[in-house]
Amino acid sequence: MKIDVVDGPGGVVVLKPEGRLNMVAAPAVREAVSSIVDSGRSKVAVDLSGVEFIDSSGLGALISGLKTTRQAGGDLRIAGANDQVKLVLSLTNLERVLTPYDTVENAYGDA
Amino acid sequence: MSDMVTRTVRLTAPPDTVDTVHDLLDALWPSVPDVSARDRMSLDTAIIELAANVIQHANRGKPITATLTVIAFPDRIEVTLSDSGEVEEIDIDGRFMPAPDELAESGRGIALMKALVDTVEHRRVDGFNHWTLVREREQVRQPDAPPRHLPSVSISGIIDEMARQRALEEMGILDSPPEDRFDRVTRLAKQLFGVGGAKINLIDGDRQWAKSTAGYGDEVVPRDKAVCAVTIEDDRTLVVQDLLADPLLADRGVPGAVEFYAGHPLQAPGGERIGALCVYDGKPRQFSEREKEMLRDLADWVQQELTASHELSRAAEVQQGLLPQSLISMPGWDIAGMCLPARAVGGDFYDWYPVGEGAAITLADTMGKGIGSAIIAATVRAVLRSAARFGDVAGAVDLAAASLNADLDTIGLFVTLLHGRLDMDSGEFTYVDAGHGLTVVARRDGTIERLRSHTPPLGVDLETEWQSHSVILNPGDVLVTASDGLLDLYDGTLDALDKIGALALLASTSAEVTDAVRARARGVAPDDVTVVVVRRDG
Repeated sequence: MKIDVVDGPGGVVVLKPEGRLNMVAAPAVREAVSSIVDSGRSKVAVDLSGVEFIDSSGLGALISGLKTTRQAGGDLRIAGANDQVKLVLSLTNLERVLTPYDTVENAYGDA
Repeated sequence: MSDMVTRTVRLTAPPDTVDTVHDLLDALWPSVPDVSARDRMSLDTAIIELAANVIQHANRGKPITATLTVIAFPDRIEVTLSDSGEVEEIDIDGRFMPAPDELAESGRGIALMKALVDTVEHRRVDGFNHWTLVREREQVRQPDAPPRHLPSVSISGIIDEMARQRALEEMGILDSPPEDRFDRVTRLAKQLFGVGGAKINLIDGDRQWAKSTAGYGDEVVPRDKAVCAVTIEDDRTLVVQDLLADPLLADRGVPGAVEFYAGHPLQAPGGERIGALCVYDGKPRQFSEREKEMLRDLADWVQQELTASHELSRAAEVQQGLLPQSLISMPGWDIAGMCLPARAVGGDFYDWYPVGEGAAITLADTMGKGIGSAIIAATVRAVLRSAARFGDVAGAVDLAAASLNADLDTIGLFVTLLHGRLDMDSGEFTYVDAGHGLTVVARRDGTIERLRSHTPPLGVDLETEWQSHSVILNPGDVLVTASDGLLDLYDGTLDALDKIGALALLASTSAEVTDAVRARARGVAPDDVTVVVVRRDG
C-alpha cells in the first residue's frame, strides 16, 4: 500500500495511506508508525481521505499505532474518514478512541 | 426492480488475497443498481471480514480453496462462502465486540460481521466450512413514494381483507382474557427496549384490539388511528423514529404518548397478517439493527404461542370428532353420551358401535388430563375397536390389554375401562369392568344397583385374567356409567352415581341426563367428565 509521510502543522507527522486499509495493507501501516516513533517523533495524524475502505485488520493496525505512539509520549489521531470508515468505527465502539476528525488541522487543533 | 443477481468467485489462498474479493464486489454492485449505499457498505465490510478471517487461517496453515457467492434478491442479499480450511469450533453467538478501552488489536471480525448483517451462520460439513451471511435490504426510497402503503381499497384488497379477518376470527383469540404467556412477552419488550409501552395488537374489522399491554396504552383503538394497521400491510418490521414528523403516519401518533413506534407483524396459521407486536414511546428515538432483530425474536415467540393455541383447538376438534356423533339406533333402546374434557383435550372417552344383534359400549378413563392422556385415549379407542371383532367381550379386552400393556407399562399409566356388549333383544349387558366401578343400573321400581369391578385397570397387572359379568336390563331400566370426574360435581363419593341413576329414572330421555350433566360440569369440572346412559324403553 502506498503511504505518504509528510510533516504537518505543529510538529505532527502526517501519514496518508492510499487505497484499502485491509489485512494486506495493515502491516505497512504498523511499520510506518513504528518507523516514525523510532525516528524520535510521536505525534501522528493519519489522513484517511485517500482510504476508501477499512476492515478490522486495518483498525487493528491503527490501534497498534495508537499504542506505539502513546507509549512514546505521543498520540495518533485520524482525519478525513469516509462513511464506511465511520460506520466501522461506530459498530466497533471506537469513535471515542479514534475520533474521526474532519481534517488533519482539526485533529490536533487543541495542541 | 432487479431480479436475482448472482456472482461467484473461486479463491486459492495463497496467492489470492482479500483484494480478489474486493474486485468481485466492485464488479457486482453495478449490476444491482437499487442497492442502498448503506447496504452496499455493510455488505462490503462483512464480506471482506469473512474472507479475511478465512484467508488468515490459510496463511497460518495449509493453502485453502474457497468459493464465494453473492446473491442479490429484491429484498435481501445472501452471501455464502465455502472453504477447505481447518478451523476450530466457531462460536458465533458467543463473540462480542471487545471493550474500546482494551485497545485490542484483533478479535473484532465476527462481532463486526454480526453487527453489519442480519444473519451469520457457520456449519462444518465433510471437511468444508460453510458460512452464510444474509442482510435484508433497506427499502430504497423514491422521492415521491411513501415508505409504507396504507391498506388497499381495490377489489383484490377487499377480498384479501375478508380472508384475513376470517383467519383472525377462527383463531378464537379476539376479546379473550389476558394470559400470562403473552403478558410475559410485552413486559419483557417494554423493559428490554426501555420504552413507555409494548402491546400485542390484533386488527379486527374497524378496530385494533390489544391482547396484551405492558405500560400505558388503550385496549381498543380505531383502526384508522392505529399504526399496527399499517404494519400488517407488509411482512417486515416497521420502525418510525419520529411519528409526528412522518407525512404518512403523523395522524396516527399521539403527542407525548406515541411518538416513536417499532412493530413486527404476527401471522395466523395460514400466513395472514392478523396483528403485530409493537413497542412505542412518548418521544422520538432511534432503533438499531440489533434492536430490530430482538423485536423480531420476540415476535417469533408470540407467534409460537399463537400457533400452540391454534393447534390445541384443532386437537380438541379432532378429539370431539372421534366421539360417536349420532345416537345409536336400536329399536327399544335410547342411548346417549357426553364427554367434557377439563382442558382443550382430555383422557376420557366413550364409544359405541353396532356388534351382532346389538352394540358394543365403552367408557374409558386414562389417568391424567391434557395432551398426553388424549394421545393414550385415542390409542385405546382404536385398539378396542379392532379387538371388538374377535370373540366375546372378555376376549376383546384381553386382546386390547395385550396390545396396550407394554406401552402403558413404559409410560407408567393405566386405563380404567367399562367395555360391554348389549343384546338388544334379551337386554343382557355382558361387560368387563377393569378398575372402573362407576356403573349403576337404576331399576324401574326405583332401586339402584351398583355394578362392582372385579378386575384391575389395564396396564396394572400383565397377568390379569379378564372375566366378564352380565346384567339384564328390563324395560324401564336405565344403566348409567360415568368417569370419576362426575363425582367431583357432587360430594365426591359414589353416592353421586346413585343420584344420577335416580335422575335418569325421572328423565324422559337419555339425552336429558347427559345434557344435565354437561350443564353442571361446564367451566367448573376440575377433571374430564364422561357419562353414558343406556335406557330400555318400557
